[in-house]
Amino acid sequence: MTLVLQTLLDGLVLGGVFSLAAAGFSLIFGVMNVVNLTHGIFVLIGAYLAWSAQHFLGVDPLLAIPGVMAVLFAAGYAYQRTIIQSAVDRSSLLASLLVTFGVALVLRNLLVLAFGPDFKSITPSYAFTNLKLGALTLDIVRISALAASLGLIALLAFVLYRTDWGRVIRATAQQDFAAGLCGVNVRHVYGLTFGVASAFAGAAGAVIGIVLPFAPPDEGHWTMKAFAVVVLGGVGSPAGALLGGLLLGLINTFTAQFIGPAFPNAMMFLVLVLMLLVRPHGLLGSAFGGSR
Amino acid sequence: MKGRTAAILAAGAVLALLAVLPAFVMPYHVRVGQLFLLSAGLALAWHILGGFAGYWSFGHTAFVGIGAFTAGLLHVHLKLPPMLGFAAGTLLGGCVSAAFAAVIAYPVLRLRGIYFAIALLGVSQVLGELSQNVDAFQGALGLNLPDIVPDAIRPEVFFYYCFLALAAGIFAFSAWLRGSRLGYGLAAIREDEDTARMLGVPTERFKVLTFVLSAALTGTIGAVYAYSLGYFTSGSVFRVDFSLNMILHALLGGIGTLAGPVIGAALLVFVTNVLLGRLLDVHLLVTGVLVVGLVLLAPSGLLGVLRDWRARWRRNERP
Repeated sequence: MTLVLQTLLDGLVLGGVFSLAAAGFSLIFGVMNVVNLTHGIFVLIGAYLAWSAQHFLGVDPLLAIPGVMAVLFAAGYAYQRTIIQSAVDRSSLLASLLVTFGVALVLRNLLVLAFGPDFKSITPSYAFTNLKLGALTLDIVRISALAASLGLIALLAFVLYRTDWGRVIRATAQQDFAAGLCGVNVRHVYGLTFGVASAFAGAAGAVIGIVLPFAPPDEGHWTMKAFAVVVLGGVGSPAGALLGGLLLGLINTFTAQFIGPAFPNAMMFLVLVLMLLVRPHGLLGSAFGGSR
Repeated sequence: MKGRTAAILAAGAVLALLAVLPAFVMPYHVRVGQLFLLSAGLALAWHILGGFAGYWSFGHTAFVGIGAFTAGLLHVHLKLPPMLGFAAGTLLGGCVSAAFAAVIAYPVLRLRGIYFAIALLGVSQVLGELSQNVDAFQGALGLNLPDIVPDAIRPEVFFYYCFLALAAGIFAFSAWLRGSRLGYGLAAIREDEDTARMLGVPTERFKVLTFVLSAALTGTIGAVYAYSLGYFTSGSVFRVDFSLNMILHALLGGIGTLAGPVIGAALLVFVTNVLLGRLLDVHLLVTGVLVVGLVLLAPSGLLGVLRDWRARWRRNERP
């Protein structure tokens, strides 16, 4: 029983991180219909920025999140306006896949050149403290990671549903043409969406950094996870990302615990394929363009 | 008709040139040629589904793996004489691939676009991990295949010709397919599946048939590839970069064209292995830059750009 509960808990912590890492991917997919294969790289860049902040400046990785988000927001905005826009103009899924794949390849190698190919991990000062709750162990790092993930997803939901930016982003997602007629600068909104999504990817990276080790070749892994989360939960909404992410986290830990440590990925894709067959819009499929 | 004769002559000339090439170049370059022919064959096999029917598979390496494992396990369990084993393995590799494709065809072909792409990526991932973790497949340990190369021929030359025969065969098959009833049906599916269905194209049957054909050809190449390696593990045949390169080569040359995948494979293999062969640190980086530049500057592939130029040139000629 304790084992099941502990696995459940670990799954939720992992799932929270997955959710946060996928939220931005889901937003871009929902609003622009772009499958952003650079997403995993943005996650890693966030992790490396947080690592640098701790390593060189001694800033706690969770406190570095606002800075990381600001940097990645700017980068994401610029990236969209210069490179991604051409793929959006062509409104071809494949163009967007290839462009982002190419950029991911470039950035991954730049990361290797800058930081080396080895695994890095961030060790905050509270890394080795843990709480006992009956027979369950909770280390502070994981709890704070989960809290940060949930808080940031709530923040994203707030931005999307309660602010002017969010309103124009949602309007553009529903119909870019009509939004344009109403005086929305669609290109600017696309840039904004990409910026917001990249910022949250970066934040996810910082959180991931304290829970798991990371290395440049991981980026594909994170992009795939984000995709799986989106397929499970549904495109475009933070709630979908949250649900999908938590599910994925649980699938991961339960498979590793009860079937075998080598099988989580196989299980993830099995569930993914089944999900695509049964309910291709995801559990919380929304009215966003990408889910249709 | 004149254009067609010219095209056949050109294809024949290229084939002849490729056939005599190994006699004149260094062994390393024969290896590069072998890699090029392998890539071209894979890209062509992928293109039957991705280019003609417009169903982009992101996990075609699954079939490479199935072909390779079929050949490997056949050898392990039956111990046929090498040459017979090679022939049987290649044949059976294609058949098992086709059978597997037929089984998964019904569910996955209901999906379209990115969802189909990812479903196949999932299939390849699952197969890769199963082959590694299920002991009966021996994927983690690796499988050994016997040396089948006759003494008179250098091994790289032997496999060069194997891959040449495969690539040329698949190319000829694609050429035939494109002009057949099936080919026209696939073009209709690619352009607008619902309309095609409404107009009486048996879309379901055509899609399944194409999927199975593409898988069978990929599986055949996979079996030969396994023999060319001699020893392989899961990791060496279930490779994401196989899946990606098939797409990339077809796209670089021009999706929907016959020669596109071959030209794309030639160019990319040449650039990454010969031009950038000495710069191992940056070669993936440069490949990335190349891909981005390609999509931004020549989204319809090299042959597409050529076609556009020709159209413009013709327009200018006529007042």
